[in-house]
This record gives sequence, C-alpha cells and structure tokens, in this order.
Amino acid sequence: MPERIKHAPLDIKKVKPPKAEIHLIKNQCKGCGYCIEFCPKKVLEESEEINARGVHPPKIVDEDKCILCSFCSVVCPDFAIFVLEKKQEETKK
Amino acid sequence: MCGAFDWKISSFFREGDLEMAEKKEHESKGEAVQPRIGVYVCQCGLNIAGSVDCEEVAKFASTLPDVVLAQYNRYTCSDQGQAGIKNDIKEHKLNRVVVASCSPRLHEPTFRKACEEAGLNKYLFEMANIREQCSWVHLYDRASATEKAKDLVKMAVAKARLLKPAVEIEVPITRKALVIGGGVAGIQAALDLADTGYKVFLVEKEPSIGGMMARIDKTFPTMDCSICILAPKMSDVGHHPNIELLANSEVTEVRGYIGNFHVKVNKKPRYVTKDCSACGECAKVCSIVVPNEFDVGLAIRHAIYTPFAQAVPATYLIDMNSCLNKNGVIVCDKCMKACERKAIQYEMQPETVELEVGTIIVATGADVFDPSTLPNYGYGKYPNVITSLEFERLINAGGPSGGRLLRPSDGEIPKRVAFIQCVGSRSDRNGRLYCSNVCCMNTIKDSLLIKEHWPETEIYVFYIDIRAYGKGFEDLYKRARKEGVVFIRGLPSEIKENRKTRDLWLAGENTLCQELYRMNFDLVVLSVGLESRKDSEVIQRLLTLSRNQDGFFLEAHPKLRPVDAATGGVFFAGCAEAPKDIKDSVTQASAAAARAGILMAKGKITVEAITPIVFPDKCKACGLCTKVCPYNAITLNKDLKRIEIAEAACGGCGTCAAECPFGALTQGHFTDDQIVSEIDAVTEHDADKKVVAFCCNWCSYAGADFAGVSRMQYPPNVRIIRTMCSGRVAPKFVERAFARGVAAVLVAGCHLGDCHYINANYQTQKRVERLWKKMEQSGLCKERLQLFWASAAEGERFASKIREMKTLVESVKPEEIEKAKKVFEKALGGA
Repeated sequence: MPERIKHAPLDIKKVKPPKAEIHLIKNQCKGCGYCIEFCPKKVLEESEEINARGVHPPKIVDEDKCILCSFCSVVCPDFAIFVLEKKQEETKK
Repeated sequence: MCGAFDWKISSFFREGDLEMAEKKEHESKGEAVQPRIGVYVCQCGLNIAGSVDCEEVAKFASTLPDVVLAQYNRYTCSDQGQAGIKNDIKEHKLNRVVVASCSPRLHEPTFRKACEEAGLNKYLFEMANIREQCSWVHLYDRASATEKAKDLVKMAVAKARLLKPAVEIEVPITRKALVIGGGVAGIQAALDLADTGYKVFLVEKEPSIGGMMARIDKTFPTMDCSICILAPKMSDVGHHPNIELLANSEVTEVRGYIGNFHVKVNKKPRYVTKDCSACGECAKVCSIVVPNEFDVGLAIRHAIYTPFAQAVPATYLIDMNSCLNKNGVIVCDKCMKACERKAIQYEMQPETVELEVGTIIVATGADVFDPSTLPNYGYGKYPNVITSLEFERLINAGGPSGGRLLRPSDGEIPKRVAFIQCVGSRSDRNGRLYCSNVCCMNTIKDSLLIKEHWPETEIYVFYIDIRAYGKGFEDLYKRARKEGVVFIRGLPSEIKENRKTRDLWLAGENTLCQELYRMNFDLVVLSVGLESRKDSEVIQRLLTLSRNQDGFFLEAHPKLRPVDAATGGVFFAGCAEAPKDIKDSVTQASAAAARAGILMAKGKITVEAITPIVFPDKCKACGLCTKVCPYNAITLNKDLKRIEIAEAACGGCGTCAAECPFGALTQGHFTDDQIVSEIDAVTEHDADKKVVAFCCNWCSYAGADFAGVSRMQYPPNVRIIRTMCSGRVAPKFVERAFARGVAAVLVAGCHLGDCHYINANYQTQKRVERLWKKMEQSGLCKERLQLFWASAAEGERFASKIREMKTLVESVKPEEIEKAKKVFEKALGGA
C-alpha cells in the first residue's frame, strides 16, 4: 500500500520489546569479530582495550537496540558472548 | 419509408454478354474474374435528388469500365431496394455492387447484408457517399454537386473493380479470465465471472485482497459497516472453486491478443505455507516492530504479520524487508520455533506463474492524494492534521485506537473538528483538475459518524461545492446539517498550529457571507482526492492501453462502451477508469464481467477482414511495421526472416502498410492499388482544381458526415477518400496525388491522443512532416499538403477547413502544379 506514513503509530508505547542483557567474557575472546559482523542491529563494535589473549574484544554500543536473537553466541567460536533477557522488574526501573 | 416507390425508373444496360461472363467465371474460379459492377444511385427522396441529378449520375456510371448495370431509385435502402439489388446480383451475374447514397457509416452494413444474402461476398460491396458529403453540403449548386457525385461514383467504381472477396477469420477464445486487482471491483468481477462458470485468476499486489474498502469504517449513504459487507465477499473469493487467488503477486508480462493472452505473474514468497492456521503465536515473539501500512502507519505490526483480521488469504506472511533473515542467513528463528504447525520457511523463493486467459479485467484502483505537497496545510508537520483515510482507520472499531477518535498529538478526543474538502482535487495549482467524486459524501458520512459517537463535538466542513448527486446522498447531507454540522463555503488558505496546545488555526474567506474567518480546531481532517496509481503505466504498457490527461485508463467510448478498453478483450472496473464510489465500482465490475462473459460465452470472435496482407517475397524483415503497430500484433521472426501477424490482435488501422518501404504489406479492403485507383479517378479531369482529402473513418470522416447532417455548406472541390485511420495514408498516396496534378491534399485524422487506434495518428504526423520537408527541399509550397485533426463532432471545423482550402487551391499557380508533377514523378510508377 503506497500511502506515505506521516504519523507515529498510536500504540507504539504499548509494545514492550524484551530488554537484553549482553554478557561478554572478554578474556575468552580471540578477536575474530564475527559477533560484530553478524549482529543484525549493530549492537557491538571493536573496543580499544586489550584482553588477556592480546586482542581487542568487542564492546557494547547500545544494549537497548539488542533484540535478543542470540546470533552472536551462535557464531562465536569461543563461547565468549551470550545474551539473557532482563527480568521485567529490572526493565521497569 | 414513405411515398410511392419508383423502382427502376430507368436502367442503363451496357452491351455485355452474360454468357461470356459466366463462362469466364467458371474458367478461372474466382481468380481474375471480369468485374461485373452494378451501380445504384439513390435519390433518398429529395435528400439527394434535391441537389444532384441522379439520372445523369446513373447515366454517367453506365459509361464507366466494367459497369454492366446502372440505375437510380428513390430509396435504395428500403426492402424493395435491397430486393432489387439481390435480384440483379442473380439475374445479371453482378459480382460487384456500388451504392451511391448516404454515408457508409450509416448503411454499409445494411447493403453488405443484402449482398451476402444474394450470395455475394460482403467485401465486394462499395459505397459512394453522395448525401452527407455531397448533396447536403452543396444544396444550392446543382451542377457542381452533380459533377462531384459523378466523381464520387467514379472513385467507388474504380475501387470496386479491384475489390477482393475476403473471409473473416474466427479466433477461439480461452474461457478463462484474469482480474488484476483485488479491491471491491476486482472481487465483484471475479465472483460474477466465477459464478457464471468461468475459471478466474485474481491477481493482487498486496498480501490480502480487500483494497480500499477494507480500510473504510462505514459506507455512505446507508452507513453500513464496510468490512462487514465486504468480508463475506472476500471469503467467497477465497473459497470459490473457480477462483484462483494469487495474492502478493504482480503481473509482469502479457503477450497475445483478445481471447488468447499469455500472462506471466510474479508470485512473491510469503515465507509461510498454507499450513498456517493464523493463530498469531509467531507475531507475539517477533521482536521487529514497524508501522502497519494497512493502518496508514497508525498502528504497529511485526515482521511476521497479517495485514488485518479479515484478510484473505488468512495466512500470515513475513515482510523480508524488515525481517532479520535476509540474504539466506538465518539470524533469528523465534517465529519458526513458535509455530506449532511448522508453516514457516525462510528459504521460500519467488515463483513465476504462467496463465492462459481469454479476457482481462483491469481493476487496479486508485491512489490517495498526498497532501504533504501542500505546505499551507502543514500535513506531516502538524500532528493533528490528518487525511480522511487516516480518519477512517481512527474511527474504525477494528483500527488502532479501537474506534476512539484520538488526536495524534495527545490522545485526547477532539471537541472541535474541521473537514477541508477538495484537497488535491479541482485545482490546477494544488493537485488535480478533476473532481474526485467521493470526498464530499465521505466527509458528510464522517461528520455523522463523529456526531453519532460524540454528539457534543462541533464540526465544520469547509468546501467549494457539496456534490450530493446520488441516490440517498441529499438525504444524508440534510441529516448532517440537521445534526448541527456547519458547512462553510470557502477553503481555508492556511492552517497554523499553536505550538503549546497543538491546536490549529484555520484562516480563510467565507465566500457566501464575504467575510474572513479565523477559527480554532482540535483536529483537522483533509478530505483528500483520488489519483491514478503511480505504477499504472506498467499496466498501460503491458496491455497497450491509453490514459486520459488525468492518468486514468481511457475507455473505448465514453458513453456506449464505458467498460471496454480500446484493446480487445480488456475491460475496466472500479477506480482504475475514474474515481468512483463503492456502488459505482461494483456496478462497473459486474458490467465488465458481463462484457468479458459475452466474449467467453461465444467462445470465438470474427475479425473484420481489414487486417494486413503480407507479400513475403518483398519483405526484408526490417521490422519497421512491428514498431508502428499500436497493438503489438506484428512480431518479427528473426530466425525465419519474416513477420508474423496476429489477426485477432490487429485493430485494422493499416499504419503498418503505410510504413512498409518495400510494399510488402497492405491492408485488406484498403489495399494500395484500391486507394491509388481512387486517387487516379479523382485526378483524371480537372485535377488542378481539386482537393484530395484522406479522412479517417472514426473522427474526420465522421466529422465530414456531421457537417453534412448539419447542412454546413462548403466548396464542392473536395474529394474524400476514406481510410480506417489516418495512419493508413502512405506518403506514396500523397505523392501520387501531386504527381497527378492535384492542387492540394488534406490528411485528416482524430485529434492526437484521441486516435481510435491508440496512437496510430502520431505516425500520420511523422509522415506528413517528412513530406513537408521533402516538399520544402524541392521548392514546393508545403501549404498544399495540409494536416488536420477533427473530431466527429467538429463538422463546422471541417467545413471551414475546406473553405480555407478553396482559397488555397485558387492561389496555386499552374507552374507549381507542373513542378509538383515533376518532383513526384516517381510515384506514378508501380501502383
């Protein structure tokens, strides 16, 4: 349907997308960058810091953008990243 | 028929041996039979005899070659007159018949039928128009009118000598139909055809059928719930054994012609199989949130969704533009995990469906005008300015607000609402010139809906005119005024917003009271007009349709064939043809279905034998003819180096024959040598005083007839040669006329854009321009060749053109005529 959308959806506030909690095990990361590359929402990027394995582990840019697809933990060869859903009480804060 | 009937007042027989002729006929079996022409000059009471000496014309006709019988009578079209012709065909072994009477547009079918009944092929009949184009336009000049009538008869006889019998071919019609567009018009057309018993393919671009009507809350004037009356029809379409619904699909290719269309449809993947039970578990887990197009963005949807509750097909689908699983990488499989019936397939591919159909109904609908192009109304900038379509979604109980009319800025129910009419309609500056037909009544209905739910709301309607023309419309208008809706004539010139409250100020002039107003409102609804679909040129190209200046598809005739396209086998329904309300759309859809049904019930059509005739030995396979054909009826077979003609698709304009530089193509019943023989007949005597006019059958010839019917007098020095289209006029015809010493040539056709053959008269223009160039280069006065567009209603224009030509003819000097004869000398060869 070709109509132009000019107004914000009225029920946008009613939708409560689940909030994510991204856990990085920085010293386990070997800096392959798969998680950064494959994240559909571009939540991660390479950090400046150097970990125990002498590489740059990823850092979280915007945790709110994460939609909990967990693709990062699927592609991580070193099991260095996983995502949990934040509990409802926590999001309400 | 009145008055006494003087049959055979006089007959002029030619010395001819009947037996000899009979013998010859037997010898050659139709090939090169010596023509035996019967000429009948009709007096038409005094209509013709009043200013033409019919006896003299008949006497003259009897001296023409191959004429074996020439007579004049009072009413040739009467039963006795026809019986006489039939009798003569048998008695005198006539194998050609010429009737000099009224316009062939009037009585050609009558006489053709008479010939056929007497066993003579109807293509061996020819008419000379000595009433509309002679006696009626030269009422006070008997001598010249008689001379002109003689010339016209001579032309007809010359053509008749070369006429060939023809058989009309029959083309089978596939008994299946394609309906493009699944709005209410498409649904109705599909159901009607399917109920009649034909297989129907309904192609819809969107994921669900329903179109605009599905989004509207109530219908005017009865205030029925729109979706409640539409949903049963939608579900009928889904379940009908004769309907194959192709939703989320687009037509990409149409080949073939009436009765035999080959259609390719691109079926976009839904990524959800038919196993889907529409439980909605998948959408619950989808974390993607985007605005829902069906609700004009006033509600959200997920990447896996169904557009609305009553959608048909009811299965969910994935919008891959917003889904995470693009390019074959499956990032997120939440919906797949949630689906109990395992109906989700991320790897589904688009497929091309090929259909064979006999008829096509175009029901592609219309778009809504975008008011953000009007900066003075601030749509898109001010949140509380909405369009009528957004209003429909807001007031709809199934819509995003559950039927509560909310101000988008704060979610409050508005106390003062303004409707602004004609947004994008009836204005050449802001939007479209035409009236969009539905907005007035839609606004009245909307105002009543508000009054129904919140009677305290103050409603103002700003309008130019209120057009409440239909059944029950005026009652609804009255009711709205009774309920307290205020109608103010004069559109606001500007809308301004109070930044704090987001209220809106409307300023303008009340043109009835001649006073300025400035009013404050909580919500402003722009009553937007309808416009043609942005992508309608795709359908236009695929089906070789034409559109009017407003962008809507053009019907074959505005009064008598309102649902037919100029292309055979294609019909229109709904807003694709012009903006219309639901009732009119449904009416037109049923009409289109009936028209398509007529074709398919017959199962075959006959094609008039005026299609091209190819001489394969002359054809160089250059492909010029394929480019000028308005119907794509000619295809170039590159492997066999020849052209192939789809007779059924051919409209019969003959522009291909005019284009062919090698003489490898000619038009049946309007062959090159027939037209040349007419030119030669005109130019035999006194060519330097005459004008040869080539007129197209539909507009300019009809315009000349109209001049006759209206008794508009013009000089008698014009001789009209009828072609089906001005596109048939090959440059060599014009050249030959000049080479034979004619003073001036007129090429007349329909107005550009109004061509009966889609666009063939653009070719006419090109050819005449080329001839002008040639004439200029040879030092000839190019004024002597005139190009003229006249419609069937422009009799006076035609007459004044001929008067203008008369002065032109008088100004042409003999040296110039001689010069033209030399320049175009070449054109005399061949023929």
